[in-house]
Amino acid sequence: MVILDAFMSLLTPMTLLVMLASAIYGLSVGAIPGFTASMAVALVVPVSYFLDPIPALAGVVTLAAMAIFAGDIPGALLRIPGTPASAAYVDESYLMTQRGEAELALGTGLICSAIGGVFGALVLIIAAPSLAEIALQFTSFEYFWLACLGLTAAIGVSVGHPAKGAISLFLGLAIAMIGLDPVAGLPRFTFGRPELVGGLGFIPVLIGLFAVSQILRFSLSPDVDNNLHKSAQRAPVTGLLSGVLSHVRRLKWSIMRGCGIGTVVGAIPGAGADIAAYISYASAKALSKQRDVFGTGTLDGIAPATAANNASVGGALVPATVFGIPGDSLTAIVIGILYMKGLNPGPMVFLLKADLIYAVFIAFLIANIMIIPLGFLAIRLFRHIVSIPRTVLMPLVLAACIVGSFAVENTTFAVTTMLVMGVVGFYMEENGIPLAPAILGVVLGPLLEEMFLTSLIKSSGSLSAFFERPLAGAIGAVVIALWLLPVLLAGRRFVIRYWSKS
Amino acid sequence: MKGHHIKIIIAFCILILSAVPAVAQSDWPNRPVTIIVPAGAGGGTDQTARMLAKRLKEKFGQPFNIVNQGQGSGVVGIRSIADSEPDGYSLGVIYNFAHYLPMGQANLSVRDFTAIAQYNFDPAGFHVHADSDWRSLPEALDAIKADPTAYSIACGGGCGGSWPIAVLTLFDKWGIDLEQLKMIPGQGAAAALQDLAAGGMDVVPSSVAEAGPLIAAGRIRGLAVFGGQRLSAFPNVPTLEELTDIKLPLGAWRGLVGPAGLPDGISAKLEKAMQEIVSSDDWRLEMAERGFGVQWRSITEFEAFMLQQQCEVRAILEDFSL
Repeated sequence: MVILDAFMSLLTPMTLLVMLASAIYGLSVGAIPGFTASMAVALVVPVSYFLDPIPALAGVVTLAAMAIFAGDIPGALLRIPGTPASAAYVDESYLMTQRGEAELALGTGLICSAIGGVFGALVLIIAAPSLAEIALQFTSFEYFWLACLGLTAAIGVSVGHPAKGAISLFLGLAIAMIGLDPVAGLPRFTFGRPELVGGLGFIPVLIGLFAVSQILRFSLSPDVDNNLHKSAQRAPVTGLLSGVLSHVRRLKWSIMRGCGIGTVVGAIPGAGADIAAYISYASAKALSKQRDVFGTGTLDGIAPATAANNASVGGALVPATVFGIPGDSLTAIVIGILYMKGLNPGPMVFLLKADLIYAVFIAFLIANIMIIPLGFLAIRLFRHIVSIPRTVLMPLVLAACIVGSFAVENTTFAVTTMLVMGVVGFYMEENGIPLAPAILGVVLGPLLEEMFLTSLIKSSGSLSAFFERPLAGAIGAVVIALWLLPVLLAGRRFVIRYWSKS
Repeated sequence: MKGHHIKIIIAFCILILSAVPAVAQSDWPNRPVTIIVPAGAGGGTDQTARMLAKRLKEKFGQPFNIVNQGQGSGVVGIRSIADSEPDGYSLGVIYNFAHYLPMGQANLSVRDFTAIAQYNFDPAGFHVHADSDWRSLPEALDAIKADPTAYSIACGGGCGGSWPIAVLTLFDKWGIDLEQLKMIPGQGAAAALQDLAAGGMDVVPSSVAEAGPLIAAGRIRGLAVFGGQRLSAFPNVPTLEELTDIKLPLGAWRGLVGPAGLPDGISAKLEKAMQEIVSSDDWRLEMAERGFGVQWRSITEFEAFMLQQQCEVRAILEDFSL
């Protein structure tokens, strides 16, 4: 009955209007390169002061769901991820666009995003308290192994020579080391400059590596990407839907696995949509029978990863509402709004204000269904982007990037960072070094370091403590198995070859 | 001819811009004011700053815009408050920053700012896991004194922040050897509380409001709140004075400041407006609803408080070498 009451409380013109407006805002912000979902939510914080609790929170969760999907659009059309969550599979979807399959990539991404989002929302509604139980078992030891798992995934997502993937990963880890170290808080590699104490901002680095490098590449050879125009003129959306659905059916298990990974990773505080997408992509590649198609522009990689990043939003709301612990930067802001509206997170909120909190969850569910019609409209609108002459489009993207990186950090230093990283990204690509592992290094480097050091302080330097807790031991065993497996397989191949020769 | 025109226009613009600060003082504020918040959007510092900005706008008729700069655990934002122009159009919300200098993070001192008003204080709470053997604070302190190396104590951020300084001062008074303690730095109180609930920490000091949801869930217990007065939202958590006779009103504070050299006329105007805001009922009500404590300190009191606090923090950090 609570659920029904909650649903009815959403059906006011004001709430529906706010949800629609948030959806459109979320889709636009997510689709502009350099503007992230977290930033979109941060920007509406002041507005949410003036709204009633239900429209305010329904609007924010709608916005989050839309922005995460919309990040796929510029990723596929321009090879510039709209939000960090889309970075894991941006190469796959852009390769499809170059083959003239932009709408297939985006349409499948949309359906999978909706499936992931609905899955996350249902888990949130049905199992929030029990899922929070799992998330609450994570101490620094478990986080350490989780970060290791993420970094192992970096090798999984990189295409081409593993050594080049490793170079990229280490570059990302090096970038992450600038600024205050995450444990003792001592400045490192700051050269005494106060700007560097805060480190290089994640968003400026991301925009620089992906967007600015792309703009540079274009300005040096403006004639590539002719296929994009063809892709823009292709099939009407109705004919497209059937093609999408057959792929979704084919990949259903992979997508479900993506949903599961996304929800669980999202529910673990400190790991968000971006990490979920990377792990999901890497596991899809590792378990696929046709591993060779990964990296050539395949839905096999896109579908599970995009399902995972949308599912993670629902997952992240679990510890946020049950224990007031943010799952990522986006939910940290949502918690701020929950407090602001007197919905202080905690188990009591499910007893005292059940109708309100379930109204928020159901709004999130509806938003993930709304994503399908609105997303198709957005794709139809945005595909015209590729028919805009690049000489007009690229300066506009650059302007959006500059505004975006300034807005997220509020410093001009962030703009400089972005431009410098653009040049770095350009030369990396020119030399066949993939960008995705670098981003994962920037995300996971500080987490890995912090968890490793705090764990060591706790255990007074004993390494065996990393396996003493059952959960930590289990995750640790999986990670080490993943590291050893290729070595063992290579050893087996070597032995077999040796025997067959002799 | 054309080039000449442009030069004249540019010169004219420079003239106007340079004249602005001179005019500004008498009729301040005649354009929007920026409040730098050295923390991310949505957290406690940001929430209280936005509540202030809304009311300051009503008082002065100019927008007060919040700019979030949370990078480097606040170092970047606090630095840019200190470095901004003392013309009254750049203000900032500040919290305990005395540890940045002794910990080598940034060269900041109270002299870099003009105090305006303190508006918030939250006493530190002493939190343990729900299954902890310690039923009371003195029991916990005795156990830590007997074997200081055995327990993991979270700093909930850097180890010079408000919460660890509060417990370290208490440990010092109790005669615990600070050098042997296992103090564990991290990324904020929320992460430390999660680790406490999962069984990875033994003690987490933080505001009681932050720990509230986990206390309500029966995952952790609050053994004491610093100071002499129980919190109305948590009447079951005893105070430090009740339990130990030690008077230590320590915790986290927030206040409004400008960069050093802010003209007296402007800071006096702001102080008066702040006093009206902080003493108003609707401010007290909103602060209480969101779990923040209200504390008023005027320009002189706030400055003296910051200076005294700076001395104490630096002294305790000397004893406890990281």
